[in-house]
Amino acid sequence: MRTHRESVIEAFDEFRQEIDEHHDRRERLIKISRDATNLSKKVIFLLHRAMTEEPNNDSNPSLRVVRRGREKLREVQALYAQIRLEVQAERFWHYHRAVSPGLQEYIEALGFAHYLEHGTLVSYQEVQLSLSDENGIPYFTLPKEDYLLGLSDVTGELMRFAISGIAQKGGRVRAREVCAFVRQCKADFERFTPYVRELSKKQAVTSQSLEKIEDAVYAIVVRGSEYDIPPDMLDDIIAQSISTFSSTTSAKSRLGQRDIRNGDDYDDEI
Amino acid sequence: MDSCNVERLNELLEQDVELREKIKEQVTDLDKKTRNMVGVLNKIHSTPPESIPGLLDSVRPMLHSCQTTSAAMAALIPPSQFWRWKEMWTNSLRTAIFSAALVEFLATGKLISLPEVCQILGIKDEWKGRFALPVEDYLHGLISLVNELSRLAVNAVTLGNFEAPIQISIFVKDLFAGFSMLNLKNDTLRRRFDSLKYDLKKIEEVVYDVSLRKLAPPPQGGHQI
Repeated sequence: MRTHRESVIEAFDEFRQEIDEHHDRRERLIKISRDATNLSKKVIFLLHRAMTEEPNNDSNPSLRVVRRGREKLREVQALYAQIRLEVQAERFWHYHRAVSPGLQEYIEALGFAHYLEHGTLVSYQEVQLSLSDENGIPYFTLPKEDYLLGLSDVTGELMRFAISGIAQKGGRVRAREVCAFVRQCKADFERFTPYVRELSKKQAVTSQSLEKIEDAVYAIVVRGSEYDIPPDMLDDIIAQSISTFSSTTSAKSRLGQRDIRNGDDYDDEI
Repeated sequence: MDSCNVERLNELLEQDVELREKIKEQVTDLDKKTRNMVGVLNKIHSTPPESIPGLLDSVRPMLHSCQTTSAAMAALIPPSQFWRWKEMWTNSLRTAIFSAALVEFLATGKLISLPEVCQILGIKDEWKGRFALPVEDYLHGLISLVNELSRLAVNAVTLGNFEAPIQISIFVKDLFAGFSMLNLKNDTLRRRFDSLKYDLKKIEEVVYDVSLRKLAPPPQGGHQI
């Protein structure tokens, strides 16, 4: 006959294995999620950088940039392919909190690239498809909450995009487009706030971003009205004064608005 | 976002809200049952040993009534979404586990096993992914059991039962030895485990008081006191 203590020890021995396995898996997923976050952030910076530096003279200037961004995003997708087995079946929701931040950052990057290319918000199905294998089988079911929260962050990127490029050729028209778009996003997201807890917080941030764009667009309209010349010509005048000035002034000051979040460093080589 | 996308998402989110409400109903129901059980079990502190079996007999049907709740939950929760909703009933379930463990200890003096709890609460293996009993919740239930037993050790003596503290002491030490084998992270389970030593100390003091005054027969076996 086993003593009581022996049977207790035996049971707890099994629990230990199970608990250790759980913690280890969680750690692994947090690590990968962090990698996904970092890579996604780099893609966002890459897109911003390329959009403000690239000479915008071809018909769709953003296409080349987006292609580079998308290539980089494939690395993030590979990370999710890699954790596929770790988050199978009920495990996904068990570890949802570990993978959620990375997912949202990825959706933000993908959503930003998608906007630059199509001028629309990436759809849920498109995001899910990007997180599926070549046969279209999802690595996991993307939570609607993460989709919405990730998308909500795109508006912040759009604000940076609109404002930092405002002095560029076509930048003022673009700022107005972005302004209208972000306004629409805000309205669309508002419907979902009762369902997704954290979304209201993000809506507040979106409101701030929207206000910044609106102020910038206002300034364009007010100042533009003083000169009765076509916008193209205004572009040329600005471009000229910048080129004569650029030898003394760093281009960086123009990007002063750009917000490098959390002081994250980013690699210029990507 | 195009409007059809908005509509579709809205619809899906609406479904989640409905599901949440249905689960909530079940949780409220389970909560009622566990509160009743805890209420009855609270009487162990003032019940003489000979009346304990009768008390336990009145709790058992209440425990078994949790089976209908378990089945209802398993039917509600979509496959693989167990962990998504689990937090809603965690507390109630832990109380049910605690009650089952306390009943088992008072009846047999033994630690109830995880599969035994599942059986009593009617949680079936094939529901995995929809409704299950995670180790973590079982362990939380056991810690509540130790908390309760440290009180019982004191109150048993008040009732003139001088052997109970010794029996409790042996049991709790076995359990503590089990818990000590776990590598716990800095979570609630860890914090509650850390607090177990105070329960242990309290029980030890009762055992000490009782033994010193030769109120209880000297304990057999070497490892206690």
